[in-house]
Amino acid sequence: MLNWRTGAILLLVVALIALPQLPFGEKDLLTLLISLFILAALSSSWNILGGFVGHINLGHGAFFGIGSLVTRSLWLDQGWHILAALAVGGVVAAIVALIVGAPALRLRGTYFAIGTLALAEAMRLTVGNVLPRVSRLPGPELRVYDIEPRYYLALVVLALIVGVSVWLSRSRIGLGMMAVREDEEAARSLGVNVFLHSMLAFVLSAFFAGLAGGAFAFFHVGYYPNYTFGPVWTFDAVIVTYVGGVGTVAGPLLGAIFFVLIRDVLAANLVNIHLIIFGILFIAIVLLLPGGFVELLKRRGQRLIPAGASTEH
Amino acid sequence: MSIETIVQTLLFGALIGSLYGLAALGLSIVFGVLKILNVAHGELIMLGGYGSFWAFNLLGLDPYLSLLIVVPGLFLIGLALHFGLFARVVRFDEEDRIKNSLLIGFGLTLILQTLATHLFTADERSITTSYSTAAWEILGIRLPLVRFSGLIIGIIVVVALRWFLRRTYWGKAIRATAEDWRTAALAGIDIRRTYLVTFALGAALAGLAGMLVTLQGSVSPNIGLQWTLKALIVVVLAGLGSVPGTFLAGVLLGVAESASALAFGGAYRELVGIVIFLIILSIRPQGLFGGSHA
Amino acid sequence: MKRLLFAIALIVLFLLSSISAVAQDNGPEFIEWGASIPLSGRYAGPAAQVERGYRMAVDNINADGGIYVEEYGRQIPINLTILDDESDPVKAVSNLEDLYSNNDVVVYLGGFGSDMHAAAAAVGEVNATPYIGVAFALWDIHQQGYHYLFSPFPKSPDMSRVTFELLNTLDEDIRPTRVGILQESTDWGIEFASFWTEDAEANGYEIVAHEEYTPGTQDFSDLILAMRDADVQILLALPSPPDGIAIVTQMAELGWVPPFSNIIRAPDAPTWIQALGSNGDYVAFMPGWHNAMAFEGVDALNEQHIEMMGRPADPLVGPAYATVQITAAAVEAAGTLDRDAIRDAMAATDMDTVIGHVTFNEDGTGNVPTAILQYQHGRAELVYPLEFATADLVYPAPPFEEREAIGD
Repeated sequence: MLNWRTGAILLLVVALIALPQLPFGEKDLLTLLISLFILAALSSSWNILGGFVGHINLGHGAFFGIGSLVTRSLWLDQGWHILAALAVGGVVAAIVALIVGAPALRLRGTYFAIGTLALAEAMRLTVGNVLPRVSRLPGPELRVYDIEPRYYLALVVLALIVGVSVWLSRSRIGLGMMAVREDEEAARSLGVNVFLHSMLAFVLSAFFAGLAGGAFAFFHVGYYPNYTFGPVWTFDAVIVTYVGGVGTVAGPLLGAIFFVLIRDVLAANLVNIHLIIFGILFIAIVLLLPGGFVELLKRRGQRLIPAGASTEH
Repeated sequence: MSIETIVQTLLFGALIGSLYGLAALGLSIVFGVLKILNVAHGELIMLGGYGSFWAFNLLGLDPYLSLLIVVPGLFLIGLALHFGLFARVVRFDEEDRIKNSLLIGFGLTLILQTLATHLFTADERSITTSYSTAAWEILGIRLPLVRFSGLIIGIIVVVALRWFLRRTYWGKAIRATAEDWRTAALAGIDIRRTYLVTFALGAALAGLAGMLVTLQGSVSPNIGLQWTLKALIVVVLAGLGSVPGTFLAGVLLGVAESASALAFGGAYRELVGIVIFLIILSIRPQGLFGGSHA
Repeated sequence: MKRLLFAIALIVLFLLSSISAVAQDNGPEFIEWGASIPLSGRYAGPAAQVERGYRMAVDNINADGGIYVEEYGRQIPINLTILDDESDPVKAVSNLEDLYSNNDVVVYLGGFGSDMHAAAAAVGEVNATPYIGVAFALWDIHQQGYHYLFSPFPKSPDMSRVTFELLNTLDEDIRPTRVGILQESTDWGIEFASFWTEDAEANGYEIVAHEEYTPGTQDFSDLILAMRDADVQILLALPSPPDGIAIVTQMAELGWVPPFSNIIRAPDAPTWIQALGSNGDYVAFMPGWHNAMAFEGVDALNEQHIEMMGRPADPLVGPAYATVQITAAAVEAAGTLDRDAIRDAMAATDMDTVIGHVTFNEDGTGNVPTAILQYQHGRAELVYPLEFATADLVYPAPPFEEREAIGD
């Protein structure tokens, strides 16, 4: 079972790496995949705090925005190498999380959610006021725009966040985080430092959201700096994570695939009404499949595999 | 800057703030009792706005009279939404309730917004009556009547809600459920019905706010998020469990925004409100008027 | 005999193959054009006019058999694929990439709104595909060295210039001089404010107030009072529709109206008067075009529009229609479906359209007539340029409480 799965994943990774060199790896497919990778990375980063620790961060877009803003200005305006700019973007997002985290993580449940939402809104408004000009690549640079490095950068960012998620889901620290999610008091009595675990997850989550933002900044040809701070990024990440399966590594990935494909397929064929259909479909999934796609797969799996094979609750 | 200008600006802020307060009341009640966060609250406000707009344009109904249709209409929509969607959510424990209500609310936002764009187009709509922009002038200060009516309606709603919550069976059931639903259930209160009524009441209040939003400004399919955010800020500023507190917090937010605009210029008006909110949230997480249990 | 048959068969084969070669050389079935338009979301209202203009023009060309393409020696119909971007610039970019890869489009037609165009036009550069768009006045986009971007639409400098041209036509003894700028804190706002300031000073006007606000503001009272206290006579603003409605409503509530107000963008919405009643009157605005500008083809366009919608062409239908006219002419002049050839032909545009005579500058901005309209008793009257004017400018604007209600 494990070997079969590892083999399939390896095959997929190789296929994704080779894709731009293949004849059908055309620009529209790469563009679609880049948005998919960025959304999956953003959702996975949300999942670290929202899924593993269980704190609903509704201001996640702010960290995506910080990452894109810092990366873009270092890379485009200061002429840094994109990898250096990207790293700094992630680090700045993490530092902001560290500063904000201390007061924010004192808030409980819903108040944390609303507080982060307001924080992101405040940042979006500030950035809109301070940097009202659209950030776009100059004409000469656009004419030599190459999609491949963008593709690989987004892929690497996604691979990083998935790798860290896998590690977290198996490590002591990750287990501590999940203990906080299940029952804070119980976790505390077991000697888990609730604040430290929450903070670590918050900072990691922000760091990777920043990287995803940086990948977006590298990819996108022209947008307003406050666009990446918008609530839509947070909402998309939350939907994707829940539809896929919150608190699991595969969930955000499956969710992102569903989200991007459905949107794309419906948008192409049913101009106008696709948003209604998407909304209904989405609600149906939330109501009928609370554990997301991952649970569906697991249920199927349990029928095939003898009981006890699944270790998760 | 003259004294008149300062007074006039702050008065306007208070009047617009009363609309923030009204928009927040429904959200606050639903949040406090059902412990769910309906992010489609702004979309319900939008529906209320369109209700009044069409009642005015098709039936020639005065916007204040249209409340007789819009408020019960939104109450029914609230019943349907709760019955079909949110009732399934309140079965979960508190953590999952919030999460799932967020998700359903978001899906609902998509549906209602797109539906409204299709049915009504994305153009801004507003209601203009003969008295729309009439104002009383006292000592050089103008008091716009329509906005003033918003403040009066807000106060009436607050008084009526207080009476309803303290004196009627359903009101007492709602308060008991908000306090502790398990105890309420043991006391023989039908929790499901209480939830249903509360949610519908919240929707009805959104409808009322929607009429005033349309009359004082404009309505379009995408105003929802903006009002949901404003309402959320007010709800948290006020804390849960206090109806007059919620309304007052709205008024205060409006005044604070105006004062900040006078001090720092218009570009930072919206920001100052949020920053005040964040400061209060970090010092006093239960809100200005909330009890310590929140 | 066998040999002869064989020879005949060879000749027949040869003839057949040459015929099929000719058939292949006959070119594609359609000329592929693509557009990403905000059919839903916040821009859906006005963007519908752009879509209508495109479709009307394309249908008319196709009804005549299409565009003559010299390389294939025949007329080829246009296939215009329109995708919805939900007013989301990221979606617009991915739509345009789809159109390029899947539909192999040779030209992009633009959507609506400056922020959408700012993102979308860049795709034209990336794919070396001409991008022609209307319904955005942002001038700054054109200053980035874009090679494939064209816009036959008035830009901020044109709009600012004609505002003062119109004011200069007023008699000197009644002409207002005190200018107040109510500026949205966006790039377009900044750009416009600087042109307004420049032109005001060059024409002998005085800026007495300049206030900024964030889009989406609910309360404009402090800004309006600042204008009133500065005794502003000429109000210049460029709000979004909800902000514009809020500004005028609150001006009426505060009982202050300047003798002349020029409000860009918000009054373009066809529901402006329905929303504001007589308070929306006497505002001067610049949607880009007016159906009374009697250029070649406008009469026919109006008739067709009345048939479809029951009214003469909406303000954005004209420019959108002209966009298709220009693009079709460029394809025909290029004589091929090569994107760079079409781009060069487009740059050399020198023709009459429903929005007047059009040529393009080096930066892709178009030289097009700029119209000023004013609502009078609920009707959008053309007041400038004077040669097409349907009414004189009403100046000064009467106070709100002295206006008659607008009847049906």
